[in-house]
Amino acid sequence: MRPLHDVRIIIAALVTTAAVVVGVLFFASDYFIDFATSLAMWIALSESWTLLSGMTGYVSLGHVVFFGLGGYLTVLTFGMLPIWAALALSGACATGLAVLVGFPCFRVRGPYFVILTFGLSEFVKYIVVNVEARASKFGRLIFGGPDPNEVFLIMVGLAVAAFFLSYFIRRSRLGAGLRGIREDEIAAETTGVPVARLKLIAFGLSALIPGIAGGAFLFRSGYFEPIQAFNPSISFSMITMAVIGGTDDAYGPLIGAVALVTLSELLWANAPEIYMTVLGLLLVVFVIWVPDGIEGRLRNWWKTQRA
Amino acid sequence: MLSFQLLIAALATGSVYALIAVGLNLIYGTMRLLNVAHGDLVMLGAYATYWSFSLLHVDPLIAVPFVGLLAAGIGAAAYFFLFQHFLRTGSLTDRIEANSLLVFFGLSIAIENLASLAFSGNPQAYEYLDRVIRIGSASIVGNRLAALIIALCTCIGVLLFFRLTTLGLAVRAIIQSRDAAEIVGVSARKTYLLTFCIGFGLAGMTGAVVSLYSQIWPFMGFSYTIVGFVIIILGGLGNIVGSIVGGLLLGVLETFGVAAVGANYRSILIYGVFIAIIIIRPQGLFGTKSTAR
Repeated sequence: MRPLHDVRIIIAALVTTAAVVVGVLFFASDYFIDFATSLAMWIALSESWTLLSGMTGYVSLGHVVFFGLGGYLTVLTFGMLPIWAALALSGACATGLAVLVGFPCFRVRGPYFVILTFGLSEFVKYIVVNVEARASKFGRLIFGGPDPNEVFLIMVGLAVAAFFLSYFIRRSRLGAGLRGIREDEIAAETTGVPVARLKLIAFGLSALIPGIAGGAFLFRSGYFEPIQAFNPSISFSMITMAVIGGTDDAYGPLIGAVALVTLSELLWANAPEIYMTVLGLLLVVFVIWVPDGIEGRLRNWWKTQRA
Repeated sequence: MLSFQLLIAALATGSVYALIAVGLNLIYGTMRLLNVAHGDLVMLGAYATYWSFSLLHVDPLIAVPFVGLLAAGIGAAAYFFLFQHFLRTGSLTDRIEANSLLVFFGLSIAIENLASLAFSGNPQAYEYLDRVIRIGSASIVGNRLAALIIALCTCIGVLLFFRLTTLGLAVRAIIQSRDAAEIVGVSARKTYLLTFCIGFGLAGMTGAVVSLYSQIWPFMGFSYTIVGFVIIILGGLGNIVGSIVGGLLLGVLETFGVAAVGANYRSILIYGVFIAIIIIRPQGLFGTKSTAR
């Protein structure tokens, strides 16, 4: 731990964020605020994904379930609860779901967890689809939610929270334990790391912010529709951003999100399929040939420059 | 409820499921690679059969083995270009499950979206053998019956291959213990290549079979992959016989379940079985505790 270094990083990050936020709120167009909101959301999501999957190597292919659940709870409670309470509830329920399903399946090692996350998000999606169909609701609209500037601020708050969560967990005892699980789970367990508990904590934490972000995203789109809210391509995008940026440190997902959200702005409007194809190929290329991501490459380059 | 008609329908669904699961489980068993793109190979196989039928007027039943060979070729290419490097690089094999999943996931998304660009997102279908055939008190559409027969025969063929041939024995040896198999002279690398070809080939054949009776579209693969995962968990990871039994069992569960509660709940039913199995009996129905790793 280097306390002084950490304090400097915190101050630098907060000052930069504040400057960007002020700049965007006072000078930017509506389009740019929308873009910045989207960017902040993806930073929050991909940082959260690395909390579990980057640190422990237990890959979650279904993180969208927390995002969608947050959106659904927020739309259900809209008008009944104040916004902050609805978002808090979304986050709490997402964490609860993660702990609930993580509890049994973290007891076994290997691919079970991965397959479970893959199926779980679809399971919850179809439950919501059927419940909505039973209630004769085909998509729900929201009127009178927070305005775009407020949504932007919420998303920036989530992005900052996710970044620092990720930054400090990596430098904590918890982070050391999680990394131990990734390197050699049996050895970690033998040396007294409470493996099962740490995995649960990491899974719960990594579900928290996606749950809240799902709720906040609802106010941005103004619309809830389960097939879209639980779309597997959302999980896929957060994974790709994290992997491309690099999962070794908190800067990685940040870099990945900036790169891909920008790319998406360039490609999505005209050719969503091309964007998704590029994303898929980038994921393959980075996992095989650049496993430490852009951030890892930059760090190595920086080291050689200074040496 | 327990009518002959439903049993035939369950067998028709279950035999195709078994075929999906065998290919998926083979690759997992030998290399610990979970092929998330398996369903997309099914999709490509279905499109290949569709195009060869509608453009070249090739009989789909004749196309089945050729589509299988084509998919096996894709498997060999995937092995040489992506996974050979993978299995050789120490830092990647250390976390092979996590890394290979991400690679397959990326491939899956890329294949689906490329297919959507190339073939358009609209569902396609062709008419083939659509006369109803009566078997005793039950009736079944001709193309469904054809799919059932091909799928069952292929499953039995794969089983015989593993029981009776030396190559099959080698694959089983690698599944049981890679190191021990290499010591007695089985080439792991050749076996991997063979497994990739068989696994991908079976996925392609499944696609050809599926296209006989069902609509095809670029994003159909995901649901087949999920079904495959459900079955290999059910039958035990790496257990080929378990996959076939598990596939038939899921076919029965799905058919009778849908008959009981309605088609809207099909997905909930499948994923429900899946989550219940993982939570209650993660080593699979026939597995012992020690094989669950």
